[in-house]
Amino acid sequence: MLNTLVTGLATGALYAIVAMVFNIMFSTSKVLSLTTGHTAMLGGVFGAWMITGLGLTWWLALPMTLLAGAVFGWLTETIAIRRVLASGDDHLWVLSTLALGTIVQHLMALWWGTEPKPFPRLITQDFSAGPWDQKYWLPMALAAAVATGLALFYKRTMLGRVFTAVSEDPFAARARGIAVERVRALSFAMAGALGALAGFAAGQLTYAFFALGMWLTLSGFIALAAGGLGSNLGALVGGVLLGLLSAFGTYFFGAEYQQTVSVGILLLVLLVKPAGLFGKSVVRSV
Amino acid sequence: MKFKARLAAAAAFLSMSLVAQAQAQTGPIRFGWMASLTGPLATAAIGINAGVQFAVDEINAAGGINGRKIELLTRDTAGDPNKAATFAQQLVLADKVDFILGPVNSGEALATVPLVARSGTPNIVISAVEECIDPVKYPRAFRVINTTGQWITAADDYVVKSMKRTKVALIGDTTGYGTVSVRNATEDLAKRGLKPVYTVLIDPNKTDLSDEIAKARAAGADVIMPWSAATGVLARLLNARGDAGWDVPVIGHPSLMALPIKQLLNKPSYWDNVYGSSYVSTSFDAGGKLPERTQALVDKIRPKLGGKDIDILFWWIALGYDAVKLAEHGVRKAGSTDAAAIQKALETTVDFKAVLSTLSYGPGKRDGFPDNNMAIVFANTFKDGNFRLAPK
Repeated sequence: MLNTLVTGLATGALYAIVAMVFNIMFSTSKVLSLTTGHTAMLGGVFGAWMITGLGLTWWLALPMTLLAGAVFGWLTETIAIRRVLASGDDHLWVLSTLALGTIVQHLMALWWGTEPKPFPRLITQDFSAGPWDQKYWLPMALAAAVATGLALFYKRTMLGRVFTAVSEDPFAARARGIAVERVRALSFAMAGALGALAGFAAGQLTYAFFALGMWLTLSGFIALAAGGLGSNLGALVGGVLLGLLSAFGTYFFGAEYQQTVSVGILLLVLLVKPAGLFGKSVVRSV
Repeated sequence: MKFKARLAAAAAFLSMSLVAQAQAQTGPIRFGWMASLTGPLATAAIGINAGVQFAVDEINAAGGINGRKIELLTRDTAGDPNKAATFAQQLVLADKVDFILGPVNSGEALATVPLVARSGTPNIVISAVEECIDPVKYPRAFRVINTTGQWITAADDYVVKSMKRTKVALIGDTTGYGTVSVRNATEDLAKRGLKPVYTVLIDPNKTDLSDEIAKARAAGADVIMPWSAATGVLARLLNARGDAGWDVPVIGHPSLMALPIKQLLNKPSYWDNVYGSSYVSTSFDAGGKLPERTQALVDKIRPKLGGKDIDILFWWIALGYDAVKLAEHGVRKAGSTDAAAIQKALETTVDFKAVLSTLSYGPGKRDGFPDNNMAIVFANTFKDGNFRLAPK
């Protein structure tokens, strides 16, 4: 049972970080990019390739992986978001980000291969550590650090306040001299780097596998919707809740019900509290 | 006048038809080959494709079939049944191929076999799922590989008769293949008077299988039988077993022997005491020798694969090679590419000496793969794509 708890917490932490990546991009663009899970997939694949393929140490591979994630995030904004938002179409980004995610997944399958490959150990540790294995606590520690870091970023830094300003009223922000488009591109690059970091930290848990993107996008979205869109605390709670319920649901009822549990949570939260556990209800004046 | 014009038109039409028919019987013989060369199911198809290409090149280099070269029309289905169905229709209706080979994966084959059958084109089936073959509904579909049931039966035989184990933990994944295989395995064990002590289906994305291993152990299992083609699932299973320090034998799907598993294991020793369902024809005997026909193909194809050790499962290569050779045999025996004549030629074929097996068909028999070629091998003895037989 301890193992189920730890596995649920670790996968939940991964979902939580992906949900926070959603939030970062959403805050400046009001777009829920379907490439979000792919940033984590890229982090796992590039990290594994740099360490096992190029022979780099993990502390050299990590910043390069983050850079690759940031570039992907920036490209997502440039290719799939910017023109769509400029055209004034509110929902076309669903198709453009889905298309980009599919293209990236196919390219990775061609280059990296279609079988999962191992992600190397980052810290010397025997495999007999059980629940204390690094593959569990690395994503957990990262999720806690990211949630704290983002809270500080939005409250204590100028850039964080700029993000908040753009999020709350892009027109007013532009009137105060903020380059909204540039801030949006920066937020996507930051989100890409964070997603890649999640994939890097959880690589031992998920393996470096080209097909992880859509699964993580869906799981991260459910965590976000359950926790409350826009709330990083909600993303953390939603992710952990989803991870634990999936793990214990599988333990008690079998894997046939794992997807049912995930989507059931989403449905339940949307019925009881449509804005999510920590989301704010938007009041629309009529 | 009218009568003369009609007669001339009829004569012209008849002569054009005869010319077209003559060209059809003298031009290249067209094989449509559907393989998922990209996408999530590409690994096996790439291996099979190596055998297909090699056989076609070999036949063409020797002058073709009855003086006609083979033209291979390869279509990458990317593992998508919808794409496979589209390509199947294109190949039989627009390209008018004489044979369809494949597709590789069961999901795709279930979609294409009925379409190909409707056109009357002969189809060499290379997917193992039972439902792809039906002598009444698909009379021109001939299977060149074993069925999934034969894999299961071979493994169950080995567990019960050779290992003398009776407490089976049956594990599958939640894909269609995994679910059906677990059901079939349960039925096969029931025929032997056995009921699994633990049965579970696993989501292929599940990141840790320690719970499943702990539950199997607690249920008193003395053998684990996984039926999943997902190497990630199988590697996680072996890692959980190894990390738990439980040296219970694992015997099941051929993917247990796949090389990607080796990379994913926490320790190489976690691959010990693991057995895969395989073939006598691709196994080394106690003296370290391969069967004659297999060794001959290994020697012939090695230069084409780089001249070094073969790093693809050899049964995939042999399967592709056999598919083309069986089609060649059908055309030679029929003396033409007439589909009805090929059907008759293949359904009267007995003891066709392919590489992977010796195939025999009949008027009501389209599964030609013999049970006596099924074998159990040590999963960690990969050499040149072949394995060492497990002791009986």
